[in-house]
Amino acid sequence: MKKTVVAVLVVLMIALVALPGFSQAKPRILFMPGVADPFYYTMEKGIKAAAAKAGADLVVAEYPKAWGPENQIPILQATIARGKFDLLLIAPTSTDALKAPLKAIYDKGTEIITVDTFIGDGDYSKASDYSFPLSYIGSDNQLGGKQMAEQLAKLLGEKGKVYCQATNPDASSVQDRVKGFTAGVAEFPKMKLVGVEWCQDIQQKAQEQTLAALQKDKDIVGIFGLNVFSAQGASQAVVNAGLTGAVKMCLWDATLDNIASLKKGNCDLVLAQKPGEMGTLGVEWGLKYLKDKKNVKVPKKVIPGFMFFTAQNVNDASMAQYIYQ
Amino acid sequence: MDGESAAKDKEGFLGSGAGRFLAMNWALCFLALMLVIFSLTGQNFLSINNFQNVVHLQTVPFLLASAETFVIITGGIDLSVGFVMGLASVFAAKLIQVFLASGMGVDAAILLSVLIALAASVIPGLVSGFVITRFKVPPFIATLGMWGIANGLALKISQGYPMAGLPDKLPGIGNGYLLYVLPGRFVSFFAKPDGFPDSRIRELWRLVPFSLPFIIAALFALAFALKRGSFGRHTYAIGGSMDASIRSGINVDAHLVKIYVLSSFLSGLAGVFNVFQTGIGNYTTFNAQYEFFAVAAVVVGGASLAGGKGRIWSSAVGVLVLAFLENGLALSGVLPFYRYIAVGVLLVVAVVIDKLFPDVR
Repeated sequence: MKKTVVAVLVVLMIALVALPGFSQAKPRILFMPGVADPFYYTMEKGIKAAAAKAGADLVVAEYPKAWGPENQIPILQATIARGKFDLLLIAPTSTDALKAPLKAIYDKGTEIITVDTFIGDGDYSKASDYSFPLSYIGSDNQLGGKQMAEQLAKLLGEKGKVYCQATNPDASSVQDRVKGFTAGVAEFPKMKLVGVEWCQDIQQKAQEQTLAALQKDKDIVGIFGLNVFSAQGASQAVVNAGLTGAVKMCLWDATLDNIASLKKGNCDLVLAQKPGEMGTLGVEWGLKYLKDKKNVKVPKKVIPGFMFFTAQNVNDASMAQYIYQ
Repeated sequence: MDGESAAKDKEGFLGSGAGRFLAMNWALCFLALMLVIFSLTGQNFLSINNFQNVVHLQTVPFLLASAETFVIITGGIDLSVGFVMGLASVFAAKLIQVFLASGMGVDAAILLSVLIALAASVIPGLVSGFVITRFKVPPFIATLGMWGIANGLALKISQGYPMAGLPDKLPGIGNGYLLYVLPGRFVSFFAKPDGFPDSRIRELWRLVPFSLPFIIAALFALAFALKRGSFGRHTYAIGGSMDASIRSGINVDAHLVKIYVLSSFLSGLAGVFNVFQTGIGNYTTFNAQYEFFAVAAVVVGGASLAGGKGRIWSSAVGVLVLAFLENGLALSGVLPFYRYIAVGVLLVVAVVIDKLFPDVR
């Protein structure tokens, strides 16, 4: 009798342990952000919502202290070692240094989608040593920079000196925005780009550099602030110099502060990327592919596009979802 | 070899009055030299506007460098100043948000938040000081620990977002000027005259930012504390020789705790001021390296990392050297990447020349 009971219990235990293995295993997703800032926090929210909806397991890696492969790679490798992931959503902090580590992860069986930034030149459709990721989902930063220049030109009557406050020279997204803005300004013969400065994500440095630029070229009429901290710093510098209204500000990234700035009249144009949507699209395309690898063709580039906030539409209810909060 | 007699023995320039002045105030002379050169090479460098801008934006570095001066004189170091500043900034901002939401008036909310944030900013220093004196943990490690704790708390309070939605009054006070002058026409106090058109803003002269009397008063108070009275004497004594200080009856442990509390308080003050200057509560980003440049300013000002030497006004000059180096090179049209090299080289040159002078006091 006892032996029978034990045998039944053992079989039950094995069944209980093995059963989950027979049922559909939940896909495991890892999100490796670029750096601790509102843009990536908003992206995480999009990813969380999409993963919860799809019933996937999500692990969010530690946010790197500063932008750069030396900060991101150790975190990535430590987190990957914790278990098998089916999908990795990563914002690579270097176009070159992340190629090898990501290839190693891909070879072990994890599918990769790069969000916001890319490796190599971002074109995964041609055969190369960086064509293994499924897709690059991010803003077309060059196009964004160009559109910014065109919007600014419209505000300035297509003439005058403009200045660009950028952030990290080692980020692909930033470099692209500067390239796009420079090319955009060049299309207007009566406009001149007098300088590009790099504040390395420090708001007060952006303030200092913008004030110096305004001091050097007293007839600057337009300024482009490239990301969260450079935009806020440049905007504050214009206010400090008492030049609100005399200098048109266009800012990248719809943080609460930039939107408040727009509402107060301290800036004239805010470009909103769609980090939440980047995250959501990453999850959706990744899971779609994992379910049916043979038939699903993931586009190698997915560009969610931009929204422009102006004084006219900033209070619209339909625009509120694009603010980073 | 005794420094003083070596100076007296030196023939020619270094032994002369001018030479000794140069040796004792090298940072100041270097600053003056820089100002002269940049006024020639820089576009619009020599202007009240530019100088005011630079000094106004150095308010936080002035406070942090002063904090480090006290600590470095005792032979220690405080790596947490940058993050304690960030913590105070988001804490003050959070308090303002909470008080406003509870229906308090704007002025009362701001005043109360400032007082509470300042009071709370002594806590990190108490903890660091306690760990250093009670458990004999080296200051580098103890303040590195606080570095992490302060940063973590700041990120937790702010959730990683700059804290916006604060009253407009704040940047108005933080960036306002005492005098607004339209040359030949009128003088207005504390605010731009009503109805003054934006298109004519550039004609207006703005003089004396509010931050200037604030920082001058602060520096005077700190320099006084360091120079006169037993607090300053004990600080130098501990830095000069810990053993001799103990033997002469100074309560070294208690004094060191006071020093780190002071450092933490000044960082908190800088953080609260930051809210007024930027109009938002901002956590300190990892690559801001405030502590790095605060220590650099103190060393350029002539202090010794081994302790026993240093003055508040010298550190202030050090802050200005670093600031005008960046500003002057930018206005001279030096491209950013070359500027990084130039700042690095010039800093080393400044300190190398300082070392060439014999130690005179």
